[in-house]
Amino acid sequence: MVSRVLVPIDDSKMSERALEYALEVYPDAEITVLHVVGKPSQMWGHATGLALADDLEDAAAEHAEPIFDRAREIVADAGGDAELETRIELGNPARAIIDRANDYETVVIGTHSGSVVDRVFVGNIAEKVVQGSPVPVVVVR
Amino acid sequence: MPEVLLIVGILVAIFVGFNIGGSTTGPAFGPAVGANVITKLMAAGLMSIFFFLGAITIGPKVVNTLGQELVRDSSIFTTRSNVAVLFFIGGALFIGNYAGVPASTSMTAVGAIAALGLATGELDWAVMGEIVVWWIVAPIIGFWVAGVVGRYFYPRINAWIAIEGNDGGRQMITIDYSGFVPRLRFGENATRREISGAFAVVGIGCLMAFSSGTSNIANAIAPIYGTGDVDMVPLILIGSAAVTVGCFTIARRTLDTLGNDITNLPLTAAIVVAVVASAIVISLSIIGIPASFVVVATMSIIGLGWGRATRTTTLSGVRAGEETRVSVGALTAEEEGEQSPEIGEEEPEDIPKASDLFDPSTTARVILMQNVVPAISTVGAYLTFRFIPIFGF
Repeated sequence: MVSRVLVPIDDSKMSERALEYALEVYPDAEITVLHVVGKPSQMWGHATGLALADDLEDAAAEHAEPIFDRAREIVADAGGDAELETRIELGNPARAIIDRANDYETVVIGTHSGSVVDRVFVGNIAEKVVQGSPVPVVVVR
Repeated sequence: MPEVLLIVGILVAIFVGFNIGGSTTGPAFGPAVGANVITKLMAAGLMSIFFFLGAITIGPKVVNTLGQELVRDSSIFTTRSNVAVLFFIGGALFIGNYAGVPASTSMTAVGAIAALGLATGELDWAVMGEIVVWWIVAPIIGFWVAGVVGRYFYPRINAWIAIEGNDGGRQMITIDYSGFVPRLRFGENATRREISGAFAVVGIGCLMAFSSGTSNIANAIAPIYGTGDVDMVPLILIGSAAVTVGCFTIARRTLDTLGNDITNLPLTAAIVVAVVASAIVISLSIIGIPASFVVVATMSIIGLGWGRATRTTTLSGVRAGEETRVSVGALTAEEEGEQSPEIGEEEPEDIPKASDLFDPSTTARVILMQNVVPAISTVGAYLTFRFIPIFGF
């Protein structure tokens, strides 16, 4: 019986599917959605913009909020009354996910994110998580 | 027949210029357009003008390097091989513009020309080596200068420049055509401070456009100049006109993709990066070195954020500078600009976390990926000249 599930999400369709899958397969589990802000971008403007913010936590939360709102919508659509835990991490997405994974029993992650730019500059996060995660990883396509 | 090929060559050069206009308008005017200070149209106009000014003043030095010095025998710039060189430069840049992957136009062009030299055995390795050394050194300089600014001076600079983007409504600066003489019109309720801030953002865009002109005009016209068939000035005019076309067309897209990432920066940061990167690029152009603007700018952005994120303790050397801070503080106190917290007195717990944003392996990946487009043009051109026997080498 899996009781603690980590679902890393971004703004891609694949991560929405991962969350839907997690809700369906682990209906009784406590699900935590994790969003990593400050991921690599074309000219590194995103991460530096955050680093220069007056209050890093506020700025990070502001970036993550639309993503978490979408996640809550998905939970509501699935008819779940599950309490959704949210978590924000900074920096290298794969490393942040792997570092957090130890507190959970399973990680459910989408295969890839949507845009070409992400693929070029961030790389495939799911692949790195599968390689580095200390707990089992479910990859959703 | 050679005349036809020359015309085709010039047409392909125009295609290159078009893509240069597209790829540089984003970084240069992204902040100004993103903050709703000027329209995209006005950005395109300013970009064209300042690009031309840079091209006609300092640009010829870089054209000479690329068109005559990089290869030992400039007779390899036949009208036929030029079409291919320019095709690879333009094609690779087009892919980059289209996919939203920023690329250094200079690296792309030097790569294609060097590939021609390499395939024909005429590459001057001394010149190539000098260029490559600067490609490594210039971004490192950008990183450190911006890093020092980020670490020690950023809050102060930020307190001077209190500009907020204005959301929605009319742009801060527009042109009023209703009168006999067109006049600049400023946003309603704009304070003097906001207007000077708006000018600063537009000004740095113009500075970047100028620096781009000094370095990038060579990328479109150097091979044709190498043939000796056309003079420098007409070529610069043609190249700049092509850039103008790019500014008014494809730049609309790059302002949204490439410009977008720079607009993630606070305007103060965009100004710092622009000044540092433009100064480096213009300096290199003066000594005839084609500079890798995108890489220099990116390393400056990383340096600025990293410098800011890694400040932890009060340094005695910084303490010594406190008197100046006091006078700056007195100046800014009368306006609503943010007070700068003293170094070492900011809350310690939110500081170390920010350094997580600057992971060496991911930053290295971003820089590496910026070399993909130049690599495409270099490898493509080399294989073509080496193995396709229509160029007579």
